[in-house]
Parts: sequence; structure tokens; C-alpha cells
Amino acid sequence: MADFEPKIVAFVCNWCTYAGADLTGTSRIKYATNVRIIRFPCTGRIDYMLLLKAFDEGADGIIVSGCHPNDCHYTSGNFHARRRWIMFRELCDFVGIDINRVLFSWVSAAEGSKWADVVNTTVTRIRELGPYTEYQKVAKHPIREVTNG
Amino acid sequence: MDELRKRAKELLESKTISVVIGYEEGTYNRTRALFVEKPEEASKLIFDSRCVLNLATYITKQEVKAKGKMAIAATIPVMRSIIQLAYEFQVSDKNLLVLGITPESNLMEFKDLLEVETYIHKFEIEINASYREKLDKLAGMTQTERWKFWIDELSPCFKCYACRAACPMCYCHRCTVDFNQPQWIPVPSHELGNLEWHIMRAVHLMGRCIDCDGCANACPLGIPINLLNKRLLEDAKRHFGGYQPVLKGDHLMSTFKPDDKENFIR
Amino acid sequence: MSKIGVFVCHCGENISATVDCAKVAETAAGYDGVVYSIDYKYMCSDPGQSLIKSAIIEKGLTGVVVASCSPRMHEPTFRKACAEAGLNPYMCEMANLREHCSWVHEKGDATTEKAIDLVRILVEKVKKNHSLNAIKVPVTKTALVIGGGIAGIQASLDIANSGHKVILIERDPSIGGHMSQLSETFPTLDCSQCILTPRMVEVAQHENITLYTYAELESLEGFVGNFKAKIRRKSKSLDEKICTGCGQCTTKCPVKKIPSEFNEGLGKRTAIYVPFPQAVPNKPVIDRVNCTYYIKGKCKVCEIVCPTKAIRFDQEDTIVEAEVGAIVVATGFTVKQPDFFPEYGFGKYPDVITGLQFERLASASGPTLGEIRRPSDGKVPEKIVFIACAGSRDPAKGIPYCSKICCMYIAKHAMLYQHKVHGGKSYVFYMDIRAGGKMYEEFVRRAIEDDGVNYIRGRVSRIYEKNGKLIVKGADTLLGAMPVDIDADMVVLATAGIANEGSEELAQKLHTSYDSYHFFSEAHPKLKPVETNTAGIFLAGACQSPKDIPESVAMASGAAVKVACLFSQDELTREPLIAVVNRQAAPVFSSCVGCFLCVSACPYQAIEKEEIKNRTGEVIKTIAKVNPGLCQGCGTCVAFCRTKSIDIQGYTHEEMYSEVMALLNEY
Repeated sequence: MADFEPKIVAFVCNWCTYAGADLTGTSRIKYATNVRIIRFPCTGRIDYMLLLKAFDEGADGIIVSGCHPNDCHYTSGNFHARRRWIMFRELCDFVGIDINRVLFSWVSAAEGSKWADVVNTTVTRIRELGPYTEYQKVAKHPIREVTNG
Repeated sequence: MDELRKRAKELLESKTISVVIGYEEGTYNRTRALFVEKPEEASKLIFDSRCVLNLATYITKQEVKAKGKMAIAATIPVMRSIIQLAYEFQVSDKNLLVLGITPESNLMEFKDLLEVETYIHKFEIEINASYREKLDKLAGMTQTERWKFWIDELSPCFKCYACRAACPMCYCHRCTVDFNQPQWIPVPSHELGNLEWHIMRAVHLMGRCIDCDGCANACPLGIPINLLNKRLLEDAKRHFGGYQPVLKGDHLMSTFKPDDKENFIR
Repeated sequence: MSKIGVFVCHCGENISATVDCAKVAETAAGYDGVVYSIDYKYMCSDPGQSLIKSAIIEKGLTGVVVASCSPRMHEPTFRKACAEAGLNPYMCEMANLREHCSWVHEKGDATTEKAIDLVRILVEKVKKNHSLNAIKVPVTKTALVIGGGIAGIQASLDIANSGHKVILIERDPSIGGHMSQLSETFPTLDCSQCILTPRMVEVAQHENITLYTYAELESLEGFVGNFKAKIRRKSKSLDEKICTGCGQCTTKCPVKKIPSEFNEGLGKRTAIYVPFPQAVPNKPVIDRVNCTYYIKGKCKVCEIVCPTKAIRFDQEDTIVEAEVGAIVVATGFTVKQPDFFPEYGFGKYPDVITGLQFERLASASGPTLGEIRRPSDGKVPEKIVFIACAGSRDPAKGIPYCSKICCMYIAKHAMLYQHKVHGGKSYVFYMDIRAGGKMYEEFVRRAIEDDGVNYIRGRVSRIYEKNGKLIVKGADTLLGAMPVDIDADMVVLATAGIANEGSEELAQKLHTSYDSYHFFSEAHPKLKPVETNTAGIFLAGACQSPKDIPESVAMASGAAVKVACLFSQDELTREPLIAVVNRQAAPVFSSCVGCFLCVSACPYQAIEKEEIKNRTGEVIKTIAKVNPGLCQGCGTCVAFCRTKSIDIQGYTHEEMYSEVMALLNEY
């Protein structure tokens, strides 16, 4: 377990969390290297299937982050996302997906240090939970998408 | 169900209705759907406790709609499906007449869908006791136990999509499984793929499933996939006060309250 | 076949100090579909951009990934460079190797690995990108200004003077707003009406401005450049065209005891009335709630005395439909009636009044013709107490914010009192003095030093009446919270500035956001104070937050410029990163099943119904359609659509799927 480096995928909204992560960069606050950010226009766009696909492809942990309620650049995308997450999380829990591996947060464009905190907390937590072998064991896809453009 | 047979015959004779959808005697002591177009065939219509198939599945099918105005023998679950379909603009008073069947097995004809809506709102969507037991048992397991339960339970699923065919709310011409650019759900039976398919269907039914058990009844392997939908029904009740199909108004998932409560977002 | 070019930037040493840029470029070169991969010191510089352009031309690149700083920084730069070289700008993506990688991690293999991953996911995404063209939307060059106070007046004049038509609507019978109620303005003590009325007249006479008073917005449809507004012109019971404003009707009206709104309840008006003598338009309206004819069917004196027979008792409200391209909201504010300050006796003691009521007393055209007199017995108060922050800055009372203008107007009121009542004593109970504008601090100093106003730092706990005097119990915190009791003749409360009544309904009609205090929300608190999140709707004045006259005027001019910018083009160009519902060949036409769940999910009401008809005009299918002028590209509808029939350009299903799949796997 000591050598286990968690693979974390972050689904973030462009206007708040992505900008917040940019601020973390400009402030030179250091955090763990395990996270890869994928940019969305809004948390409302985040399709829950993509979260499952991330686990499918070997992610050990997921971060989903967007604007604080009432601050959504598109007024209400994060409200829809929140409702969706509440239900989806229940379903995942029911089915036995380890929801401790998915961390949701609101990080605004001014919260550079919060983003670093969120990443570090997630990495620590996933490191303790270990690799998500349970999921990855059953995730051997017979079909691989051929990338020829 | 003489009243039903009589009324169906009347409607067809007067040409107000082109097809009456109901139940008939099938094989192996089961019932099946019947599409009556000739008045004399109305005598084949039956109704008893075996009639649980959700007939609302048929009212969105092009082949049935093309016949003209439809009448449907509808128990309460079927009525709920009809209202939800009407909310989603798939059916309206113009092309459907509801011949309601009360819990006491009496015929109750509705003038329009508004009357149907008023009627069904008298009844809460309740999860029955034996399923409640199963849900509680699952809730009592650990996460790893639940995972094992579902992976094992779903691995025999051979993706026949009978559950999808039986569900009235699965009327999409192009289902997500029909995609291959990108391939969201793998086609063959696959341990994780099967789980993804059922999760995906449960999510698409959030706020729309009215607990008719059609999916579980249709499954040739008897997999209790309706447990996923029932759990979501409970969650909807717990988090958002539940839902009922309505003709106009807010849908559970496409609306929100600014103060929706959660305890897991940092 | 994709031909992707990868350009890894060193950003001087910003990236290369911790990331092995050469290795990133080398690894990327090995990916399927990448035909060109280099690293360079400064990609955003001219030579750097030339590298990209020449690679596009020479290698025939179909997509470009620039691995450098944040796209929020340079995406427009690189997209423009690509466009100049002939590649559609939306085939260019940026991998954030600086803010998200080099600046936040130490030098090492893990950092380079991350950089490689970040580049790979965007290479996979860009392979699925589509060429997109900017969307053009026509613009109607007429503006609608809602609210005829100083902000609305200024905005209307600026827009009209720039050559565009303006429709100005005001729900009161006259324009002028609160500024017309003021006696003098700080810090110059200019007569408010004197500086305002020329503007009001200019508005009325301007050939580009159509003024509707006693009118409100009934409904609004459409989108930026193409709004359709319905305006309800409430019936004034008058034919404005033939009324000469002679005033006979108002003189003869027998109902004379209605509390005057303009005088904040301190004076009376008639049932047929002109709100104030300098009203624009100077034509009366009949208050149907209090008019004897409407209540009992009798009287009609006004009709009898009117020399031009302009009274129309049966006149109904009319709805005017207008097509406008932009809207400026300038609905202003109001002051909170402090009924929730029972401890101050407001409502109980007639001599405890609000700041606006004091303005009317001090005003030469007010109920006391400019003399400061107690509302109870008309005597001149010898001792007057002003209480600052009555309601504002009080989270317990629900108004945590500062109302901004009160410190200044209290100083002004105290000075006016001292000028009018020689020998009178004035006291101000304050928490802080906020005098941040130009000449403001000097103004307050004058009140204290030249006019002898007593400033006491402390709050007032209670006011009660004793022997005809109002006993004000306060404390002086600069003297160790020493209790201070003043037996005042009159007390003026500087009550909180709050959003005007009806703000919430108006915001909902406009589909624009507002905060929990019902002030309209600006698009960005620092950099976009006059815009809203709804394209085409701008804000001016105190409807956004309490502010004074110079700020309101500045903001109004700012909003006017934004409108003029909008109108300077015949067509609006918008970023094409919007949602689109797919269309296919007959007989399917679209995989959309017409459930319209997306319609309720859209925050901008941008999704409409489209009827697919056959040659005989019969409707075969009704599907969703996105209005390209309204859609802002959030993608909420996309996540809702079960059939995935609606997709968002720039973040399509394929693109995001490819991005996620490329994340953790190497190809």
C-alpha cells in the first residue's frame, strides 16, 4: 500500500473550480500530483455515466466540483447537478459502489487554497482506501474504442 | 368484466375508438395484451388478478397509434404511466381514452386525462412489504457485500432488454445502448456492463418510475432489477418529498429547490 | 483522418522548471493521429504563433493542442492564430500545464507524467472536435429603459443621444424618482429639483425617447437583440392628448385628504392629482381606489370643470407591444419602513420620521413649504436627533449590508436643520461615518465643525414619549459607553435602503437573477457591474445595490454604452459553443422523442418546440429546438437528455467520452 499512488480524476466546471485551480497555480500552492482535471462548461453538463467510465478506466477516486449554489455562471446548472448527485449517490451506494471514493465540492474562483485542500484530502483518503480493485476486476471491457480520428 | 367488454364493443361500433387495448387469456395460465379492433372481438377482453402487465407500453408504439384513437383498460399503475407519458407529450386526450379499472375491479371511464390525474392522486405510490424487506436487508449489508450481491445477481443478465420493452417509460426510439459512437454500454453480457446498463436505466427512470414491477416481471431470469427503482423511489421521498405523475408541473429531476439539502458536498 | 499538432510551451522557465517539456512532446509524437509535436520556449509570442501557423499550413493539421498556460489566459490568442492559418479556431484546444501542473507540483517524474496525461486527453478530445462558426443574430436597435428615476433618465438620454430609439417606462405618474423628492443634494447642497427637472424635460422632449408613465412591464419574451415586450399602460382616466395640464380638476376635486405618496405620507393630495408641481408629464391621473366616482358612482366634478373635456372615466388599461434589442433596468430602491423597530416608536409617535420624510419637510415644495416642523403639532423642533444605521448593518434584523448613502444624507439633514432652525440643537447617533466620495469627508466635517452638529458614537436602545418630548436613550461609546439621554422634539431614522416593491416579479419576468435582498444581480461584482447574466439586460442605479446620485448616473451611462455597443452592429456574433438538437433524415427527423424535459432544465428558456410537418402541413412530430440566440452553453440539458439527442458544441458526448477514456489508458 505504501507505494500505491492513487489515480484521481476531477470533473470541474470552467467558471469556478477551473478558475480556482488556476488561482492555486498562480499562488504557487503545492498539492499532490495525482489529479487530472477535465474541464466542463458547467457542473450541469457532467453526465453521471462519465463518472462510471472513469472508474471503469482505472480511476481510484473522483472529484466533482463546481460553483457554490447561487453563484453558477449559468444561474442554475449547479442546482440541477446537486439534485442529480444526491440521487445518483444513493443509487451507487445501493449498488455497492464505494461512494467514499467520490468527493463532491463547491470551489469558487477565489478559493485557490480550498482546491489544494480538496485534492490533498481526496488523495489521502483514497490512499487509505487503497486501489479500487473491486471495480477494476470486473471492468475488463471487451470493446476498446479504436482511435483513428 | 362484462362492463368492460360491453363498453369496448360500444366504442368500437360507434367508431369513436379504433383500437381497445386490454388483456386476454394467454397460455400457461397467464394473460397477455389484446388489441381489439373489431367489435365482436371485444368479448375476448378479461380482467383478473393475473393482469399486471403495464399496457401503457403500447400507447407510444407507432403501429398502435397509427390505428387511430386508442382506448385502454387501465389499472392504477397503468393510469400513472399514462399521466407521466402525457406529461412528456407522448399521449394526449386526442388519441387516448382511459377505461379505468378500480382496485375493486370495477370499470370507471374517465372523460379526460385531468380526471385520471385527480383519481390517481388519491393513491400514494407505496412499496409493498416483501420488497421493503428485501430493501432493508440490502441496506443492512456492507458496501462490499452489496457490490458482490449485485455483480452476482446481474452477471446472468444476457441483455435481452425485455425490461426495457416492458417499461412504458422506455419509449425512446434510440436508447443509449444503441450508441456506438461512443459505446456507452457494452453490447454483450459483461459483469460490469450489465451493472452499468441497469444503473443507467434506473437513472433515466428517476422521477418517472411508478413502480409497476413490469421490468422484473418481464425478466426471463427473474432478476429483481425493480429493487433499484424502488430504492430510488424511497430516496425521492426521503430527500424531496416524493413525486406523483402530473399533467403539468415540476418534474423531480429537471427542477430543483435552491435549498435542496445534502450533507456530502464540501 | 486526424492530423494533430502538439505544441508544448516552456513558458520561459515557468513550465520547464518542473516539467520535462521535451519528453512531453516526444511522447505525444507517438500517439495515433499526431503528426507533429514540438516544444518551444514561448508559444504565445509572435515566433511561437508562427510555428503553429506554419505547421498548420505545411502539415495540413486538422487539430492543434497547445500545452501551455490556462486556456482562460490564451485560448483566444491561439484560436485566432489557428484561424489566421486557415484552421477552424474550434479545432484548437489547450492543455493547462502551468497553473494546473508546473506551478503546483515539484520537479519530478510524477509531474512530467501528469503533463503527458494532460496533453493526451486533449489530443483525444480534439480528434472529435467539430468545426464551428460564430452565430449571427440580428439586432433591433431600440432600447427599453424600465424606471424613470435619475438613473433611468440618464440612461435614456445617453442612448437617445447616441442615435437610437428608447422607450422609457415608469410606474408612477411622473418620472423623477426619489431624486425629485429631495430638497438638496450632497455634497454641494444643490437644489435637487433644479438639477433634475431640466433632464426630465429633455427626456420628455427628446425625439428619440417615447415616454410612458403610469406604465409597467407586463411580459417579456425573446432574447438579446430580439426582445418582445408587452407594456401595460395603466389607465390615467384621461385623454393625454387633449389635456392641457391646466390643473382645474385637481383644484376642484372634493376628495382632498389622501396621504400623498410623494410627500411620504406627510402631506395630502386629491383623488385626481399630479404628484408634484414639476411632474413630467404634467398631466393628472385619477386614483381609482380613492376616487368617489369609482367607489360610489357619484361626483365627476373634474369632468365638469375640465375646459377641454379630457376626463375619460371608462378608459381601460392598454397593452403596448414593443420590439426592443436591449433593456436597462433602473427601478431604483425604496426605504424600509421600520415597523420592525417598535423600540423606536415609528408609527406610534408621529414625530419619529424617516430620512425621506425629512427631505419632504426640508423641501420648499413640501407639505411645510421648507420649514422643519413636527408632524404632530406643527411646532418647530428645538432639539432633533438623527439615528444612523436604522436597520442597516444589522444581521439580526435581516439587513447585514450598509445602505451607503445614509451617513451623507444625515450630515446633510443636520446641516439643513441648523441652517433653518437657528439655535436649534441637532444630534447624530452613529456607528461609523462612511464618507468616501469626492468632497464627502469635507462635507461631513463642515456639519460637525461649521454647523455644530453633535456627533455621538453609539446606538439608541429606545425612544419613548414623556411630557410631549421624545426621550432618546443612547450611549456614547467614545466616552466609555456613557449613557446619553436626549429629550428630543423630533427623531429622524436613517432607515435601510431596500429593493423596490415588485423587484422580484420584475426580475422573474426578465429572467434575470436577483439576490436574497431582491436587488438585481450583476454579472460580475468587480468587472461587470452593469451587465447581468442575461444577455441584453443591463442594470443602472440603486436597483442593483444602494448607491448615491453620482454613482447612479455613472452606472446609467455605463449601461447606455453597453447598449450602444450592442447596437453598433447590425448582427450580433456569438460564440458557437451552444447546444444543438440533432436532426436526421426522414422518417426519423431526430432522435429527440419530444419529452421536453430539457425545456424545464434550461435556465435561459432557450429550448423551444419545433413542429416537423409533412407536405400537407400535418404535424408528424414535435421535437426540441435550441434558440441559438438565447443558449449560453451550460450543457445542463445535455446531461438530462435520455436519448442524448441534444449535444453541446465544444463539449459533445464524443469529445468528453474520449477525454475520460484517454485519461488513464495509453494507446
